[in-house]
Amino acid sequence: MNVACPPAVQSGGWWQPFAAFDGVAVLHVDLAPDALNEQRAWAWLDPAERQRADQFRHGGAKRQYVLCRSALRSLLCDALSCRNEQLAFRASKHGKPSAFVGGSKSAFGFNVSHGGRHGLIALAPDGTVGVDVEERSAPRNLDVLVDTVLSPGERAEVMAAAGDEKLRLFLNLWTMKEALSKARGVGMSMDVSGFEIPHGMLRGTRGGVFCFPDVPDLTWALHNVGTDDFAAAVACTTQAVCDAS
Amino acid sequence: MSSTEERLRALIDANLEIEGRASGQPISLDLSLADAGVSSTDLVAFWQLVCEEFSMDIPAEVFAELATPGDLIAHLDADAG
Repeated sequence: MNVACPPAVQSGGWWQPFAAFDGVAVLHVDLAPDALNEQRAWAWLDPAERQRADQFRHGGAKRQYVLCRSALRSLLCDALSCRNEQLAFRASKHGKPSAFVGGSKSAFGFNVSHGGRHGLIALAPDGTVGVDVEERSAPRNLDVLVDTVLSPGERAEVMAAAGDEKLRLFLNLWTMKEALSKARGVGMSMDVSGFEIPHGMLRGTRGGVFCFPDVPDLTWALHNVGTDDFAAAVACTTQAVCDAS
Repeated sequence: MSSTEERLRALIDANLEIEGRASGQPISLDLSLADAGVSSTDLVAFWQLVCEEFSMDIPAEVFAELATPGDLIAHLDADAG
């Protein structure tokens, strides 16, 4: 495992430290409606981000974007020792953003996810990171999702689960697969049924090491950081050896 | 036979929750589904349901680029045409 220290992070008005491991710091962002926080958050955004926020036609998605982006700006300004107006973002082909300070690309890794009332920001000074969070509520088409995003072995495990355990297990697997595809920088453009989560994590282990079948030389530390309220996972680059699935 | 837009609207009504839109209301063809608050789980299930409805295999990387109903209709009509 990578033993680098996670970056020191401060709480803000609507975010606070949530977890730290493998040189990664994870912050929880409170996305509950709060007019004062939303007003304070808006002040952090640059003109392009405000225009982007106004493209959201209704409140929930706009609030998620504004509160998460402003928290990210504050955290990166601290981590990169820069002023807010020096910080900009550009997205890759598949939408993964990178930070630029004074026009120069920063190697500082970060990723953001939000689901319902919960946002997570992962910061990885020395690597690449992906994060995903989903509230523990049933998607409309759970059976379709099980068929679409899980491998045959994972599908059998989920379908054999009873009652609430089926949903809990599915959301754990979904967030782990999303965290990995976001870490790799491909997001939803990847068919995630083509790889399997390390078997121990399917059975409840909170951490594991993973390799994509088509990129065996690059290994990822995978962490299940879910709670009773939400499923969540973080993936970051590591020097460790891949687990056998 | 129903048009592509009508069939897509029926799928959206049945499977997607778009903030501020009641079922049956007209769909703005340039509305980004992600910007309308559709969750990632609903989007992925919707991808599969569109493939089934139109008997097409749309690769994930292609579907990810089809952000709006208008984009989807254009892709489906081009593929059928």
